[in-house]
Amino acid sequence: MTRADYFAILFAVLLLPYLYATQWTGDKAGTTASIMNGDETTHASLTENRTLQINGVVGTSTLKIEDGKIRFTASPCLGKQCIHSGWLAHAGEFAACLPNRISVAVLGEEPRFDSINF
Amino acid sequence: MNNNPDGTADTKTGITITTTPEDHLIAWLAALAIAIHIIESVLPSPLPGVKPGLSNVITIVVFVLYGWRTAVWVSMLRVLVGSILIGTFLSPTFMLSFSGAVASLIVLWLASRLPGDGLGPIGLCLLAAMAHMFGQFYIAYLLFIPHEGLFKLLPLLMTAAVVFGIISGIIVRSMLRHLEKDANDITAPNRNEQE
Amino acid sequence: MKCRWLSLLLFATLGLTACSESSPPVHKAKLFTLGTLVDVSVLHEDEATAQRAIDIVEAELAVINTQWHAWRDSPLTSINQQLTKGETITIDATTHAFMQQAQQLATDSQQLFNPAIGSLVALWGFHNDDRPEDAPPTTDKIDALLKQAPSMGDITLTATTLSSSNPAVQLDFGAFAKGYAIDQAIARLKQSGIEHAIVNAGGDLRAIGSKGKRPWRIGIRHPSASGVIASVETHGDESVFTSGNYERFFDFDGRRYHHIIDPRSGHPASGTVSVTVIHRNAATADAAATALFIAGAKQWPQIAQQMGIDEVMLIDDNLTIYMTAEMAKRIHLEISDAEVKIIGDNA
Repeated sequence: MTRADYFAILFAVLLLPYLYATQWTGDKAGTTASIMNGDETTHASLTENRTLQINGVVGTSTLKIEDGKIRFTASPCLGKQCIHSGWLAHAGEFAACLPNRISVAVLGEEPRFDSINF
Repeated sequence: MNNNPDGTADTKTGITITTTPEDHLIAWLAALAIAIHIIESVLPSPLPGVKPGLSNVITIVVFVLYGWRTAVWVSMLRVLVGSILIGTFLSPTFMLSFSGAVASLIVLWLASRLPGDGLGPIGLCLLAAMAHMFGQFYIAYLLFIPHEGLFKLLPLLMTAAVVFGIISGIIVRSMLRHLEKDANDITAPNRNEQE
Repeated sequence: MKCRWLSLLLFATLGLTACSESSPPVHKAKLFTLGTLVDVSVLHEDEATAQRAIDIVEAELAVINTQWHAWRDSPLTSINQQLTKGETITIDATTHAFMQQAQQLATDSQQLFNPAIGSLVALWGFHNDDRPEDAPPTTDKIDALLKQAPSMGDITLTATTLSSSNPAVQLDFGAFAKGYAIDQAIARLKQSGIEHAIVNAGGDLRAIGSKGKRPWRIGIRHPSASGVIASVETHGDESVFTSGNYERFFDFDGRRYHHIIDPRSGHPASGTVSVTVIHRNAATADAAATALFIAGAKQWPQIAQQMGIDEVMLIDDNLTIYMTAEMAKRIHLEISDAEVKIIGDNA
């Protein structure tokens, strides 16, 4: 190991806690799912059980919301990795179907709106 | 690397390109990299298409033995052939492999400019793996899923990159020890640029 | 030398990850004033600066509240007493600017925004924090007031005086003072060096700047169901105002009477459920939301044009949604089963 190797390891060791501190949101139960289709984001409450059909680039992806959780149940992609991601229930959890350009993130504490007009 | 467009004409015209043991080794390493690339493609990942980059092992062995330019060739060959064989050529997955490979090559280029002792196999693999992961991640964010939620995955992905980077560093170190003995017989022009 | 390369790398990586870093904190305050709950959200690095700005806003709103209160003893109620007597009232520059803006908005709205019908609002019993569920006024009483036709046109305004040629003029700035107060609050925040904030007074708001790297997100509440009917992101400096028949009302004999009185009929304006207006200036948006509510599904595009309002959404009794093309371009409907009509798409 050279001196530069030690520096590289030190860099990695410093970077990881920094990333966790700034990007990690813990496992608070989520309240809303933010669903992104292409460039368009929509939101769905996780309290309402239902099935969503979303038309993406290559076909229709199906998302299921059940008892505060959300998951991909059908997808036109080849790898089906989005379905293998399973249920998402905690804030920060994320699943995506890359070929269909559809992604789902569970949002926690942060309310959907900064202010309500009525 | 046997450039022989017409096998029958070969003996008559006498155009034969002799391959060196070095060429054979590079071909073998590229083939190995492609094999690893394909095996890796079936590994699950929280972000589809984003991979730890185990085939970086080969890229870095080539980098240490034959220098940066050869590493670029092997790496690009691996991404192209690997994706054609899996059938993901020019798909999002291919773009991610490609950007990961480019990012780690950039880091290797920087490393090759380091003065003094430079980086050993472990440091090279670690930084290349992190660059590889971040390159893929950033392209995924920019091109495919510009979803802020994606950043929540970054700590996990980078942790995986660090772990795989160190593991592949150890693999590269022992591979180099074995190859060193064989390589002593080969004239390797760019060998051990930094060491 | 080695260190230089490594630190370069370190900075490159940190710089890229910083793209998703969290923005400055949002400081929030709830103020009970203007007869409602005022939410002030200020986004600023420094908590002390934010708090100072909020304190200034609180003081400013308290002054406006006492100045323009329509039924508790206030400078406005004494102006109204003097107007009944036909007296000429001495006013200061602030009052002059306030009156002039209200008068202009009344003209632009063809008197649908009519702050001179205070006695009509009082007759309906809305000069009360909590109107009892009593009978509505009789048609005779309403007609008697309508005959006198009080309007802002009866008011003569000079730089220092105010008088009315019609003793029936009773000023009630219920559809204007809140917007005016929000404008003043935002002006104070800007003076205090705040660039990103929302002032929301009882559901009507003005937002400046953004929430860090994304715009402020505003949900517009559904007029008759739970949840939001639409959402919008504000850019730069914008007010979002809604007038709805669900805000203040009373029920009598199985009928509902709301607080938005049509100055032409003397009765609560019918046909409209809510009107949402987006405009830079909050006072204008406030008056416009009321005027367009009264104008109704047929007349609103013409009034909106005269008032210089480009972004309007009107929801009628059948929950049909009418929008200007400009509004349709930016608003995001959160319900899927609505009938939407886009009006005046000249493109």
